[in-house]
Formats: sequence, structure tokens, C-alpha cells
Amino acid sequence: MKMDTRLEDLIGLEDTKLGFFKEVQIKMRELQESNLKLKEKRQQIQAILDGITDVMAVISLDYRIQSVNHVFYRVFPHPEPQDEFCYRVFRNQDSPCSPCPLSEALETNHVSRQMYIYHLKGENRQFEITASPLRDQRGIPEHMLLLKRDVTVEKEYQAKYYHAEKMATIGLLAAGVAHEINNPLTAICGFAEGLKRRLPRLEERLGDLQNDKKLARDLQEYVETIIAEGHRCRDIVQNLLTFSPRWNASLTAVDLNFIVVDVLKILEHHLKKKLPNAICLDLDPALPRPMGIAAELKQVVLNLVLNALEAIQNQGKITLRTRTRGDDWIVLSVKDTGYGIPEENLDKLFEPFFTTKPVGKGIGIGLSTCYNIIRQHKGEIQVESSAGQGATFRVKLPMP
Amino acid sequence: MPMSVRKFSIPEILFGRGSMQYVGTCARRLGAEKVFFVSDPGLKKAGWVDKVFELLETEKLSWVYYSNVVANPRDHQVQEGAQLYLDEGCDVVVSLGGGSPMDAAKGIALVASNGGKVHQYEGANRIHRPLPPMVFIPSTAGSGSDVSQFAIINDVQRRVKMSIISRTLVPNISIIDPNILTTKTKSLIIAAAIDAIAHAAESYVSKIASPFTEVHSLKSIDIIIKVLPAALETRGIDALEQLSVASTSAGMAFSNASLGIDHALAHSLGGMLDVVHGLIHPVLLPHVLRFNLPACPDKVADIGEIVLGKRYSSDEKTALAGIEKLEEFSHQLNVSTRLRDIITDRASLPQVCRMAVNDSCLLTNPRPATWEEMLQICEDAW
Ligand SMILES: [Fe+2]
Repeated sequence: MKMDTRLEDLIGLEDTKLGFFKEVQIKMRELQESNLKLKEKRQQIQAILDGITDVMAVISLDYRIQSVNHVFYRVFPHPEPQDEFCYRVFRNQDSPCSPCPLSEALETNHVSRQMYIYHLKGENRQFEITASPLRDQRGIPEHMLLLKRDVTVEKEYQAKYYHAEKMATIGLLAAGVAHEINNPLTAICGFAEGLKRRLPRLEERLGDLQNDKKLARDLQEYVETIIAEGHRCRDIVQNLLTFSPRWNASLTAVDLNFIVVDVLKILEHHLKKKLPNAICLDLDPALPRPMGIAAELKQVVLNLVLNALEAIQNQGKITLRTRTRGDDWIVLSVKDTGYGIPEENLDKLFEPFFTTKPVGKGIGIGLSTCYNIIRQHKGEIQVESSAGQGATFRVKLPMP
Repeated sequence: MPMSVRKFSIPEILFGRGSMQYVGTCARRLGAEKVFFVSDPGLKKAGWVDKVFELLETEKLSWVYYSNVVANPRDHQVQEGAQLYLDEGCDVVVSLGGGSPMDAAKGIALVASNGGKVHQYEGANRIHRPLPPMVFIPSTAGSGSDVSQFAIINDVQRRVKMSIISRTLVPNISIIDPNILTTKTKSLIIAAAIDAIAHAAESYVSKIASPFTEVHSLKSIDIIIKVLPAALETRGIDALEQLSVASTSAGMAFSNASLGIDHALAHSLGGMLDVVHGLIHPVLLPHVLRFNLPACPDKVADIGEIVLGKRYSSDEKTALAGIEKLEEFSHQLNVSTRLRDIITDRASLPQVCRMAVNDSCLLTNPRPATWEEMLQICEDAW
């Protein structure tokens, strides 16, 4: 090992007592590098945290807010939540909530979830709250992590989805039934017409006796009733058949404004008699033309206007409005000042056979047909109303 | 030898009676918070260790005391000390003692900062990272370890004394307080003084001696010859202080000019047979000087002149008379001058010499020597 020691090594001109300056330099460089790495890591974590779109808050075990993310400030009005009690900041209460998701998570040592509706900026927003303990190195909870996710929109979508699914099922059923009934109904109507055509000959053969004349009248009346009711059934069946998907309907650019005016023309006579000033038009002259089937859309508008007239009875106003909403939708709304629709009926409004009219009056096919037509136009039909407050139906069609 | 550039490096030196009181300040100045303090049980008994404790405490320094050190300090003691240093999180090494505690302290500082085993640093300039600051207080006037770039550690398994040579082993501060010598036994003072003479004489004739080392070598011999008898007799502080000056001068000389055959053999004997270092020089040094005489008669004559106080007609005569006078000096001090008096195993001498030719001290010896020639020296000294 030491065999190669030379005289020069003993003199050691090129060797000197090593000091710490170089060591310090190396250490400093190492520290700078690791500091840089830490900084990058911190920024990375910050970016991840900033990417979280839920409200996030770290809360001490005595309910005081330690820190919040930037989303907090967008959602909640409190300007400086640090060190404040969470129940005060979030719910404006003077004592911890019951049940409190924080203490629940702490007790069960598990993530705890809760749904809660906050009234924020004049709106009710539904939040899913998740609380989980933040542990130190020994696994002892030190703080709590609170996440609040605004699920209002999801919930709405969910409800819409359930509704659409239900409508599809009912529609399928109705269309099936309609198909089955169609053939026997055609037979009934056809044979009834046949009977009707033969009635004059029968009448000839009957005598002029009082009884014979009465029999002929009865037969006449019965056959006509069968035909009339048969036609009514045919109409119902025709309506029900709109639930079946159309395979080859050709769509054209449709002028909604023109349809509105056209429908009002049909009703002109009826309106002049009853409510000369009830209709208000607010039509966008620059309205783009959605793709659709004019006859079907006319049916929808007519249906909505008739419903509105029904709702306002002999007083009030109906406003028909066309607008674009954003870049995606063309909207036609029919607003009335009528008796409105009770909340419990809003959900069922578009179901087939749902009606609020007395038994025998109306068959409830109207709105469900509208629903189907609009759905087949890839649009949406919505209603907004409460009892006694009038109602607004909105037909949304996709921008061409 | 084409090289004409020389180097002279020494630590900061605090010299004088009572200079020891600065040990705490020195350590603190070097950044100490927790001192690793190496000494030996003899100095503990004499009260000097407690004195150092007190001084460190005055500076509000904490310390770890390590005293598992023997004469010819061993590799495993160094490793153990280094581990303790690291475990305790020390930052400055303080040593109070003769050559053994000081060399052990150097080894500990080395292993603690550079890692591994002390063996891997054997040889010259193998240390690549700085050592913790070292503050040394020599308790003997002889070893010179407090100013030197050498550390001699015993490899127990190979039974070799390893020389570790590096400027980085030069302590930062040497505190030379002659007061400590007052509690030393007569035989320890003699052994240390003769070691210092050997350092001075060997460094003077070294191939890499320089004007800066030569002046210290001659001054050292001069003082010891004149003062040692009086120092032993009266134990007067003035004389002891002169011995301190002499041994420090010798230390400065040999740290920079290195040594020769006498120390090559001494290291070998110490490693193989565990002979106490200070006992070897009265036996070997005269024979080594005679062996070297043909290579540098003028220089050996310079030494003779110092010892004799005069010069004869030729360098050779002066040199030989001086060597004789040195032997006589040893006789008067009542120390062994024959090799047979300090070792029993004559048969191991060839082995000792075979090992000694590899010692780095041989590099600077003015006359090259084979192991057979070294054996002849030993036989002459038997
Ligand atoms: Fe020595």
C-alpha cells in the first residue's frame, strides 16, 4: 500500500492541509440542488392542489380552519377564514354541527361523507362533504382534511337521466301497444264504415212504422258513435306511434318564428272570440334555423299554446319568445300567467296518459308527444312552474 | 535529487507556562461545541485531564472523553474512537498526552471524517477530505506529534507500525505548556528527550533537510545536551521549558525533513515487538550515525561539533568523537545502550529489518540501506 511513497510525497509541495472551504462549497452546491428539487416538488404539489376543483380546507381538531385552497374563495363569501371556526365559516352556526363529519371521521377513523345544501349567492347548491383525518408520522390524527364538492349539476343530470330512461320505457310500451291495437282498430273502423254505407239500404227495407224508424235512427247513431270513437282511438294510436323512432324522416331548416305565426293563424278565430289581447310575441328576427320537421314542430307549438290557453282560462297573458342561448341552443318559450302546475306534477308532466283534466276530457297524449318530437329533434323540453304562478315551457333545439 | 524547492509547515503554536488555559478558547475558535478529548489514565491521575475538563467547561463546551489508548496506539482503538466521535456528534478533537494519545487522536480525526479503516490511509498523501480541527497539548518534550504531519498507528494483525503522512494531519493548534512536564517521571523525561535528539539528528542528515529544518535540528540537540542533566536533577521549570523548546524544534524539523534508518527500525521494533519508542534511540542512533557517516561526513560532524562544543581536524574525527560523546551521554543518563537489554528475541531481528526497509523513513536516509545492512546495524547494537 505504502510502497510507492516517494521523496516528493514527503516534501508534499503539491499537498496542503485540507480545509473545509471546498467541503462547504460542495455542501452548498448540494444544498442548492436539493433546494431546487424541493422547490420543483413544491410547485408540482401546488399545481396538483390548484388543479383540485373541490373546496378544500385543513381544519384543526378544535374546529379551527388552518388553511383553504383557492376554490374556497370562489365558492364561499368569507374573505379570511384562517383561524375561524369551521361551523361559523361554512354554516354560520355558533356551535359544531350535528352530525359533524369531522368528529365522525375522527371517531370511526375513516373517511366520512355527508350531503348538504348550502344557500350560496342566492342559489341552493348541493355539496358532497368528505372529511378524513390527516395523520402525523406515528399515525395519530393531527388535522382534518375537508373536501366539499358541488354536485348540484350532477344531481340534476342524474334526475334528467332517470326521467329520460323512464320516458323511454313507457314510450316503448306505448308504441308496442299502439301497433297491436292498430290492426283491430282498422278493422273496427272499416267495418263500421261498411255498416254505415249499408244503413240507407237497410232503412229502405224497413217499413215506415214508428218502431222501424226508431231502430234505423238507433243503428245510425250507434254506428256513427263507433266510427267517431274509432277515429278518436286512431288519433291516440297515431300519437302513441310517435314514440317509435323514425327511420328516414328528412330534416330541413325550419323557421321557428314562421311556425309560431302560422299556429297563431290557425287559432285566430278562436282567439278573437275569447281573448283578443292575450298573446304577446317576442321573436328574435335574427333567429337561426334549426334542422327539423316543420309539421311536427308545428304540432308541438300548437299543443303548448293550447295548454297555455287552457291554463289562463279567460284572463292573463301568453308570451311566445324565440331566442338563442349561448352557441348551442335555439330556444322557444311559451309562458303563461295561468294557474300553474303543482310541484308534485312537474315530474310526470311528460308521461303518456298523465293528465290533470277530469276523466273523459283530454287523453294526456299531448305533452308526451311534444316530448317525443323534441327528443327526436335532439332537443329538450323543460317546464318551470309552481302552483298559481303560471308556467313556462321551453323547447330547446340544437343550433344547426 | 533535482528538487530544490522545500516546504516548511507547522501549526499555530501557543508556547509558555500556563498556555494550557487557552485550550477552551482555541477549541471554541475552531468551532467546537462538543469536543472529542483524547488522553491517557496517567495524565488523568496527575490531574491534568480534570484541568482540561474545567477549562472546556469555562468555555461552556461539552466533551466526550476517550482514554482507551496504549503506547504504540492500535488500529482498533482508533476505529473505536472514531465511532464514538461520530455517535456523539463531536466537532473538534483535543488531545493531551505524549506521542501515543496524540497519534491516536489524529487517527480518530482521520477515520471520523474520511471514513473506512485507518489502514487505507497508510502512506503519503492519501487523505482527500479535511479533518476536524485539532488542538494538541503535548505532555512530553519529545514526540513532536503535536507539530508533525505524521501519525504512527499499530496494525495489530500485521504487527506493523503504519506511517500515515499528510499535511492534513498537522494539528491546527499546538499548545506547549512546560508546566505539564513537572509531573513527569525521570525516565519519561529521558525517553522523550532522547527521542527528540533522534528526531533532530535524523532530520538534520535527511536528504530533504532545508535551512529551515537544519537550524531547528541543531538548536534542539544543543539545548538537550546542555539542559537535560540539570532538568532531571533540579526539575526546575526553566530547564523543563528549555526541553519543551528543544523537542518542539526537533518536531518542526522532522515533520518537514522526515527521518531515517533509526526511526525505520524503531517503527518496525515497535510494531513487531511492541518496544517502547523512547528506549530504542540510545541503542540504535549511534550505530545509525556511524553507518550514515560516509554519505554526509560534514553533517554528522556538525552534530558532533554541537555535542562536543568543538571541532577536530577532519569532519570524520569530529563526527566519530561526537557519536562517542552521545553514547557517553546516554550512559550517564543510566539508560540501556545495548539492544539485548530492551528486546529478548534476537532471532526476530531479520524479520524486523525486512519490514523496516519498507518504512518511508528510509527514503530520506542519506545512505541507502538494504535489510542486511540494517541487520548489521542491529547486530552491532546487540
Ligand atoms: Fe520518534
